[in-house]
Amino acid sequence: MATDVDARTQSARPLPEAELERMLYLLMLSRYFDERTEALYRQGRLPGAIYSGRGQEGTHVGVVFPLRPQDSLFPTHRDLSAQLAKGLDLKRVMAQFWGRIDGYTRGRDGNSHIGDWFGSRTWTVMSHLPIAYPVACGAALAYQRRGQDTVAMGICGDGATSNGRWHEALNTSAIHRLPVVWVVNNNQFAYSTPNPLEFGVPTIAERADAYGMPGVRVDGGNVLEVYAAAKEAVDRARSGEGPTLIESVSLRWRGHAGHDPAKYVPKELLDEYMASHDPVANFQDWMLAEGLVDQDGIAQLDSRIQREFEEGYEFAQSSPYPEPEDATKGLWVEDGYWTSEPGRGGPTEAP
Amino acid sequence: MTATQKVEAGAAGHGAEPRGKRTEDGQATYLIAIAEALWEEMERDERVYCLGEDIGAYGGAFKVTEGFIERFGPERVMDTPIAEETIVGLAIGSAMEGMRPVAEFQYADFMSSGFDMITTALARVHYRSGVPLPVVLRGPSGGYVRASSFHSTNPEPWYAHAGGIKVICPAFPSDAKGLMKSAIRDDNPCMVLEHKWIYRRVKEHVPEDPDFLVPIGKADVKREGTDVSVITYGALVHKTLEAAEALERRGMSIEVVDLRTVYPLDEEAILRSIEKTSRALVVSESYRYAGIGAEVSATIAQRAFEHLDAPVERLSPPNMPIPFSPTLEDAFLPQVSDIEAAVERLSAW
Amino acid sequence: MTTVQMPQLGETIIEGTILSWLKSEGDTVTRDEPLFEISTDKVDTEVPSPVAGTVSKILVAAGETVPVGTALMEIAEEGEAAEGAGGSGSASAQTPDGRQAPGASESPSPAAASTEPGASESPSSGTAPAQQAPAQTQVPAPATAAAAAAASGGGAVAEMRERGPRSKILSPLVRRLASEHGIDLDTVEGTGAGGRITKHDVMAAIERGPAPAPAAGPPAAVGAAPAGVAPQAVPTPAAPSGAAEEVVPMSHIRRAIATHMVASLQTTARAWTMVEVNVEPLVRLRADAKESFVQKYGAKLTYLPFVVRATCDALLEYPMVNAELRGEDVVVRRFVNMGIAVSYDEGLIVPVIRRAETMNVPGLAQSIADLAVRAREHRLQPDEVQGATFTITNPGPYGSVASVPIINQPNAGILSLDAIQQRPVVVDDAIAIRHMVFVSMSWDHRVIDGELATRFLARVKHNLETWDFSSEVGR
Repeated sequence: MATDVDARTQSARPLPEAELERMLYLLMLSRYFDERTEALYRQGRLPGAIYSGRGQEGTHVGVVFPLRPQDSLFPTHRDLSAQLAKGLDLKRVMAQFWGRIDGYTRGRDGNSHIGDWFGSRTWTVMSHLPIAYPVACGAALAYQRRGQDTVAMGICGDGATSNGRWHEALNTSAIHRLPVVWVVNNNQFAYSTPNPLEFGVPTIAERADAYGMPGVRVDGGNVLEVYAAAKEAVDRARSGEGPTLIESVSLRWRGHAGHDPAKYVPKELLDEYMASHDPVANFQDWMLAEGLVDQDGIAQLDSRIQREFEEGYEFAQSSPYPEPEDATKGLWVEDGYWTSEPGRGGPTEAP
Repeated sequence: MTATQKVEAGAAGHGAEPRGKRTEDGQATYLIAIAEALWEEMERDERVYCLGEDIGAYGGAFKVTEGFIERFGPERVMDTPIAEETIVGLAIGSAMEGMRPVAEFQYADFMSSGFDMITTALARVHYRSGVPLPVVLRGPSGGYVRASSFHSTNPEPWYAHAGGIKVICPAFPSDAKGLMKSAIRDDNPCMVLEHKWIYRRVKEHVPEDPDFLVPIGKADVKREGTDVSVITYGALVHKTLEAAEALERRGMSIEVVDLRTVYPLDEEAILRSIEKTSRALVVSESYRYAGIGAEVSATIAQRAFEHLDAPVERLSPPNMPIPFSPTLEDAFLPQVSDIEAAVERLSAW
Repeated sequence: MTTVQMPQLGETIIEGTILSWLKSEGDTVTRDEPLFEISTDKVDTEVPSPVAGTVSKILVAAGETVPVGTALMEIAEEGEAAEGAGGSGSASAQTPDGRQAPGASESPSPAAASTEPGASESPSSGTAPAQQAPAQTQVPAPATAAAAAAASGGGAVAEMRERGPRSKILSPLVRRLASEHGIDLDTVEGTGAGGRITKHDVMAAIERGPAPAPAAGPPAAVGAAPAGVAPQAVPTPAAPSGAAEEVVPMSHIRRAIATHMVASLQTTARAWTMVEVNVEPLVRLRADAKESFVQKYGAKLTYLPFVVRATCDALLEYPMVNAELRGEDVVVRRFVNMGIAVSYDEGLIVPVIRRAETMNVPGLAQSIADLAVRAREHRLQPDEVQGATFTITNPGPYGSVASVPIINQPNAGILSLDAIQQRPVVVDDAIAIRHMVFVSMSWDHRVIDGELATRFLARVKHNLETWDFSSEVGR
């Protein structure tokens, strides 16, 4: 019967319709943002560096989706999509890219070295990897001490799993059963280094056993699969059962950074992933198949995203640069720089 | 806030609170004074907690936290694995969520195992995001105890250089107590380097007022004098005071300025002293090249130029590992006789 | 833009001190016009401008000692723009022909000497104590420096103030205190290592009270003391100034003189011999010739040229008196560079007539007059105050009848010409009144002995008493 089928189909949906639409929007936004900023970068109109997350949007959006607003996220430079999913304002993200005062770091850092602790509970990204992992332990420790059902989530790349800190953090979180979810965005290349040169085991997920926590490996091209694993891990953490390791596999479609042509990625691999592991296309297809969206709807989403990007770009360009005197402010809490409005007397043209 | 536990007076013993470990006449050693500070601040504010290696059941390698776990429980006196990066990371993350961690490093030497977390993360979070990190890192530093290079390090220049961490090096028990309390109450990252040579060697009457604070960033004149200003900190304050006695018998009067905090520097106090004496000797246990002495000397040369009747002199060890054998260590680190000789040289210039 | 540098006034000179600037920023200056006064080991002198133009910038302050070659001043030449030039007026007094009167000298040079008309060219000092003839202010040559300055460890470079190798090191504090309290560091004794002026020294100077302007004027007694006045004591700094007592700090020249006097006495084995000379013929000759002489030769005729002539002859006859002790060697000369002691506002200086044995009375008269004038005007060149092989001093015009001078190192002797007086003498068993004069010599017993010294003086006496100078003076 149609109703039964509908009911079955509906109960197979992991999320309410509105949430699924939001998921699609975030995937498409992430992809568009990545493409446009790369274009601007190549045109010399974007200062600094870009770190493309193209092809990994399934991981980024999927793991963040189960988080609540007060849960904390500790990402890396490649996980801007995760931060957008967590709630960062596109306008202020773009102001950050252009080094303006309205950026989240007030110009103290640029591009995806971004975070919004006071708003969306995300760590302001640092370059050293995975410097945020031990910090995530600390946040989780606080939640545990206070008996809060808040969860911390750390995202890092496959390369960062070679670093001692990664192992320390997993180890410590297991000792104390900290409410934390460890996500590894395995896009198979750490800059130019492929997986086999980064770790001696076939998968990252199987290391979880060694530390005393469950590990799961998912297909980063399937956002719903990622979401499902993340949801389970978050729920475990929230209920006091300790950490989980999620290895989400995808491919890094672009270079490590904007300057990197990534010729070390075998062409066949790239072609295959772009063809059949594109998380945005895959989810679009699924949404279309489920009847949750039609082509018109996708087109509308396209326009909306384009418009939002343009508005964000305009916002960024019209936001002033920080005042030079601000350079030495804000080191100590007592100077009050961060608890007051910043000076807006800087120029709006690039110096 | 929990009610204050009744003070258990009497001799030291397992489970007694630090104040019970004072001498018969009520003096506290430098170590006990630090323990008192930690205890009082943990009683005062439940957000304050300690973490580090062997600080719980064992009471800490130097027994600073002896008795703490019985009073405050394992969650607030947390034993960590040997994972210095994680210790700092835990401190940062929990501080971001409103706790006030005090992380112990068994020896200050091991802070460098967490160097990245300290200098890259801890020192920079607030500047880049406005998130306060009320973190205290503490540990025993310094030499003169025949402990060789991995247990005698003076790391203050490295962490002062990071910019974003207040680096505190007290020399006297009262200062140690008041500064530790100030550090714990400070919303910025603070590092308190407790000179191990002083731990049990120096005692004095230490205030019992639980709100007794010594301001961070303020030096203190430990001995007034007229001929030469000796600017120093840590164990060398005591050696300088000893030199001062000998010098006075020979008719020379030195003023001993105890920096107490090495970053930020109390430039005004230093300048006031130079204005008085016109001669400056900077004595520092951190290495000569790019050490604390270098910074103080440059500041004096730049800001007190017109008050100087002689060049600024520095006394510091060379940039080398601290050796073990007594003859080597004694030759390596500044001694009382070295300070006397330097003062005499400076006076005769 | 022309940069004026510290000149090297002498082969061994490595530095000089700016005594005073004669021009200020904004003043115009003509070529060769004096720009500033400097002091070196050898001499104080003015340095003339190499170009005409406007003083654009003064780079070194008065009182500073800088190495040879240091840029001192910038002059914008005519046609260039001068930085910060305030105008073409000169801040200091100028004589009509644009030449700057010596800034440091307050008393006009002719009046510095006694009131005796013929004595204006006399090189002797009016302040000379009766008992002590002035010796030269010349800085000792290396031999003396080695002997007398051994304690300070000084090498071949003679110090300006002879105080030790670190006497010129002024710490920032010392400079500032001196500047704030108007202390002339020239007047402060350094008690620090190597003679360094320390903070304590400056503080003590401040507590002593404000110092008068440095070397600005001669000590009060110049030109005013009559003969026979007791030796003028160097004022001690400890006593506070009151109405009856004045504290006059030593100028650097004074200090140099003091040092050299002491060094001479400590080094030489000084003995003294005197002869009495009958100069009746000379007196008459001079009285007769002096008017035409001055008209013909442009210089006043005093007794000094005669004495120089007579002495040169004696020196060539007894060259050991014209000798110099260098180490273990006696260097005997067969030429005479005659030092003539001249008193001036700063004290004493001994200009030198080179190859005096080749000059006649008119030449000597002119040379002596020229040197005396220029000495008083601080315009002597360094090589004009060095190299004397023998020295003559003439305190006679001020009235002393006999003097015991201090040898001008490194000479072997110094001759004193005292007052010519009419005395009763025995002539052919009768008493006659004759013009007589005591001529004496302090001599170094290390180099010569009494017999030689006496013979030498006897020769001088003989020359003066028997020579006929009339042809030389144009009679």
